[in-house]
Amino acid sequence: MNLKISAAVYQKELLEIFRDRRTMISMVVVPLAAIPLLFMLISKFMSSREEQAKGEAVTVGVLGEDKVPTVLKALKAAGFQPMPTADLRAAVEKKEVAASVEETADASGETHISIYIDKTRQASEIAGDKIQTALDKLKMDTVRASLRGSGVAEKILTPFDLKSVNVASEKKMSGLVFGSALGYVVILLMFTGAMYPAIDMTAGEKERRTLEAVLASPAGRNEIVLGKIGATATAAFITALLTLASMAYSFRFSPQAESTQEALHMAPPDMGSLAMVLITVLPTAIVAASLMVAIAICAKSYKEGQSYLTPIVMLAAFPAVVGMLPGLELTPALALIPIFNVCQLVKEIFLGEFSRVAYAVAFVANLAYAAIGYLVAARIFKSESVLFRV
Amino acid sequence: MIRVENLAKSFEDKKRGAVQALEHVSFEVKPREIFGLLGPNGAGKTTCLRLLATILKPTSGTAEVGGADIVRSPEAVRRQIGFLSGDMGYYARLTPREVLTFFGKLNGLEGAGLRQRIDEMEATFEFGEFANTKIDKLSTGMKQKVAIARTVLHDPPILILDEPSSGLDVPTARLIENFMLRARESGKCILFSTHVMEEAEYLCDRIGVVHQGKLKALGTMDELRAQTGKQRLREIFLTLLDMVELVDKSEGARK
Repeated sequence: MNLKISAAVYQKELLEIFRDRRTMISMVVVPLAAIPLLFMLISKFMSSREEQAKGEAVTVGVLGEDKVPTVLKALKAAGFQPMPTADLRAAVEKKEVAASVEETADASGETHISIYIDKTRQASEIAGDKIQTALDKLKMDTVRASLRGSGVAEKILTPFDLKSVNVASEKKMSGLVFGSALGYVVILLMFTGAMYPAIDMTAGEKERRTLEAVLASPAGRNEIVLGKIGATATAAFITALLTLASMAYSFRFSPQAESTQEALHMAPPDMGSLAMVLITVLPTAIVAASLMVAIAICAKSYKEGQSYLTPIVMLAAFPAVVGMLPGLELTPALALIPIFNVCQLVKEIFLGEFSRVAYAVAFVANLAYAAIGYLVAARIFKSESVLFRV
Repeated sequence: MIRVENLAKSFEDKKRGAVQALEHVSFEVKPREIFGLLGPNGAGKTTCLRLLATILKPTSGTAEVGGADIVRSPEAVRRQIGFLSGDMGYYARLTPREVLTFFGKLNGLEGAGLRQRIDEMEATFEFGEFANTKIDKLSTGMKQKVAIARTVLHDPPILILDEPSSGLDVPTARLIENFMLRARESGKCILFSTHVMEEAEYLCDRIGVVHQGKLKALGTMDELRAQTGKQRLREIFLTLLDMVELVDKSEGARK
């Protein structure tokens, strides 16, 4: 193995990568521009939804103020505005009101209250919760009033006080959300970042007919492939780096950082975790690079390369999505699954509780996949039927 | 310098099955000689040159290039050759200097030796200010000079040129011709392929006519004339290809 040759190929590929517009867009522009934009949109969306929810929450549909004699006062006291409507269900469905309340009495004279809400709407859910609380209070007050004359102690109503305490720190809470999303985004962008360079330096060189001269030089095939995979992995890694940097920026340092944190109900990620994530994704950058180079060599043109690799990007997203599911823990056996293991580790790093064994297993496994990918790519690169497929 | 022995190559084609691209071809090329492989499109010229450049592996037979066997020690072969093909592309995003640096390193040059060699190339081919311009922006002639400079950068004793002037206009093609003549003067062994008769007649010391993967004839112009009884290479060529109906019957009379 003559590493000087690989280094020469690596240098030349990087030069080409940095002068290729398509690559620069997927590698630099997308992470730098898309991430802050995404956050901005999310926080705008969330805050406008909350405002909307607050505004909408005050209206509650009733068949008529006189049709809800028992609860009318309590609803008004809780800040609700009763709105007479003929169809309680439809009014909620059509978003005319946040929720509806219906009061009926059965033959025995017992009162039944129904609250209509649309659980797919945040505003409706909030209103429903508030109505529930208001009516619970009304219920208690009514019971208390009846007890007062009977001589039974009021204390009987509350034999014990009940509350639930969330032991997760704010860091952990945000870690769960942030970690799950980040693993997915980084993997996806890393594969996209590797895609264009991988195609450009394989199928692209075949199409532009520049590969033949390289093949006729004394450079060994293994060395050439190593240089190409190295350059592609570098592109993938730069994408990951820029994605993380731009996340850190929009979360911590940008003028909108605070409003973003507030809107997403999340504390900013700490720099140590971000650095740790970078180290974790490094072997995956090499896996992505060797896989994509190996496949793109088989394509005869840039276009064909694109149609080969686009499904690979989607395929890579699949274990990443599974990794976003809550409740999955990274056991040493699961740590063998590529991409999935990285997503889990990223999540666990942000939760501050990853297992060292799982981390080591995942790291070594990913390096092994990278090595296998390289060997496969080098083998394909020696096949003349692949290189001269026309 | 080049000795080809019973070289054969067949490809697997999905539609046509096994295709015999080259059948038991043998010839030799000596130092200070320009040897032309002449043949119509699809005759097997490119396959032959790619086999000798070790880009493809032969199905049977072998060849020695600069004393190294193309099957057993392909890397030793590649160290001694400069390979250029007429339909090769350019690294459009790189500058001539960057391309030369890249190929220099691939050929084992480095450091001051590499820089000196690149300076020499830039002087010989008069790159001037274009040495640091992206190849994309260069004229066809200038691009061709870069390709030639890339081929001889490491001073290989053997040149393998596959239709080097195809698609070029007359002034640019002349660049290639002059380059080949100069290379012969400096003692290099040159094997090239073409289907341009004039070019072959003007440049070649010896000619091999290839048709349907077989070597139909081999020799100097005079030997080929004697063998076919024709004067102009065009008529010799058609006669050798058994395309008698196309041969100019009045050729001898007109002379």
